[in-house]
Amino acid sequence: MTVIHPADPLLPVAPSRLRTVLAAFRRFFRRAPLSAFWGCVAAAIVVMSVAAPVIVPYPPLKSDFRAMQKPPDEKHWFGTDQIGRDTLSRVIVGSQASLTVAFGAVLFGTTLGALWGLACGYFGGRFDMFSQRLIEFLQSFPDLILAMAIAMALGGGLGTVIVAIAVTRIPFGGRVIRSVVLSLKEMQYVEAARGLGASHKRLMFRHILPQCVAPYLILATTHLGVAIVIEASLGFLGVGIPPPNPTWGNMLSDALNSGLVPPWWLVFFPGAAITLTVLAFNLLGDGIRDMLDPRLRGSV
Amino acid sequence: MYSYIARRLAFGALTIVGVSIMVFVVMRILPGDPLVAIFGPEGMSKLTEEQRANFMKDLGLSDPLWVQYFNWVKDILAGNFGRSFFRSENVADMILRRGPLTAEIALLSVMISWIVGIPVAIVSALRPNSWADSIVRFVSILFLAVPGFWIGMLIVLGLLFWFGYRAPMAGAALFVDPIANLQLVIGPAVVLGLGQAAYIARMARSSLLEVIREDYVRTARAKGLNGRLVISLHALPNAMLPVITLSGVLMGLVLAGSIPVERAFGTPGLGYAMFTAVSERDVFVMQNLVFLYAVVFVMLNILVDLAIALLDPRIRYQ
Repeated sequence: MTVIHPADPLLPVAPSRLRTVLAAFRRFFRRAPLSAFWGCVAAAIVVMSVAAPVIVPYPPLKSDFRAMQKPPDEKHWFGTDQIGRDTLSRVIVGSQASLTVAFGAVLFGTTLGALWGLACGYFGGRFDMFSQRLIEFLQSFPDLILAMAIAMALGGGLGTVIVAIAVTRIPFGGRVIRSVVLSLKEMQYVEAARGLGASHKRLMFRHILPQCVAPYLILATTHLGVAIVIEASLGFLGVGIPPPNPTWGNMLSDALNSGLVPPWWLVFFPGAAITLTVLAFNLLGDGIRDMLDPRLRGSV
Repeated sequence: MYSYIARRLAFGALTIVGVSIMVFVVMRILPGDPLVAIFGPEGMSKLTEEQRANFMKDLGLSDPLWVQYFNWVKDILAGNFGRSFFRSENVADMILRRGPLTAEIALLSVMISWIVGIPVAIVSALRPNSWADSIVRFVSILFLAVPGFWIGMLIVLGLLFWFGYRAPMAGAALFVDPIANLQLVIGPAVVLGLGQAAYIARMARSSLLEVIREDYVRTARAKGLNGRLVISLHALPNAMLPVITLSGVLMGLVLAGSIPVERAFGTPGLGYAMFTAVSERDVFVMQNLVFLYAVVFVMLNILVDLAIALLDPRIRYQ
């Protein structure tokens, strides 16, 4: 809590950090109400997944043999699966896997790619040429197929899924940040710093890197949605986080494995959760991009 | 033009070599012991020392890695894609049997994406910020978020529930039984096509909006050309170039997306084979299929680049 003092008009009061953040939020809400709304949805999903252990109506792994494959009713809002586990609880807990993987993979992959791109753009030369070929090889695989191969090779689990998806994010970070660095490198202030005898390390991290924050943030938010879809697909194909731990992907896979005709509630709710989450993060990402870089508006 | 083609092909060849090394590293070196990948840690502990050695020798795994790599490349160049470890099915045969179905799905989905995406883009670019434009933009954003395999599962369920219809389970070749074949491919093609259409519509819209502002379009209008002709003859062809490039990039989405989508529909295509290979942990089939998909993706992108060079003299004469 901040305590509000009667301001002394003679003293210049530095605006508190909290207040600048709040002002930024207010500006975001006014300029992009739609994105702000979906940002709130995304925040609600994040809160839901953090609070999952407290808010689930039933333990997600516990079977109730008196209520197997029940359609939605007032006791089980989303119905129950073949062995009587509550679908609502599993969808809520499933958000943890989805979000952990998405944030982990994007943070890890995009950051690694960005640092690589920084080095490529800054040093150029043979190192850059070699790196560009390597990135091209990485991009020759469709994302999901590369992630599948890596996840399968490393064996299923939270960590391997994060690594598998992160590897597919590296080329994007590398490409974008490299091109930003290439143009920044020629700026006069960088030349001035070099003239003053700044070291490579200082030039890269003190002078060039801060300018890469905006494109990095745009890249990271727009890739969250993609990462969630890839995670769900991996789960659906059986190379994601293995059951019994629920993820939205392996719930859909379980539904399909349960028999020729899966009950509709086992299909509908996990998929709807994926769609809602991806939609929220995509639209939030659009808003952030418009805010930070109006030039990119409307591009894919 | 010829030097451009030669350069592009040389780069393509280099990329394919790089890709093969990457596939080998991921599928053979990352797992550590390939026998663990095949049998799982539990099955592995049941094998005796002698059995292990025999398996290693049979599978050619006791050679040094670079020998293994060259053996693999030699096999592939000879058209020998090996056998599935679990069903002793010849992988080359399987690819020939199942590949056409997936190729059909891919082709059909690209056609659907253009047929749906381009008209929609024209409508929304001609009247930006109208209600039609807003609806189109919202729907395309929605389609970018919906996972295709989920829509596929819902379609299968819906058809079964309301119409008691289910697509045939067995494979059917296009020229032997066209109707059964169409029933197999139409579902996945529509799902993948609409997913791409969202990207195509977005790209075509922004590209058209840019082209419409160009001088030569204004000239065409000023000389009194009918508005429809200005769009279809002058603006559209130039606006299509980035869309064609995007379509090539989206092939990755189609090739990879067809794996879960084929599983959702139960389509007996190559994507389903990939799913089977992954769930059976069949490392050798997976290795060859991943390589095949990557090569197809690289070649399709070369084709797209060449098509663009053919259509756009600015690139040809660079």
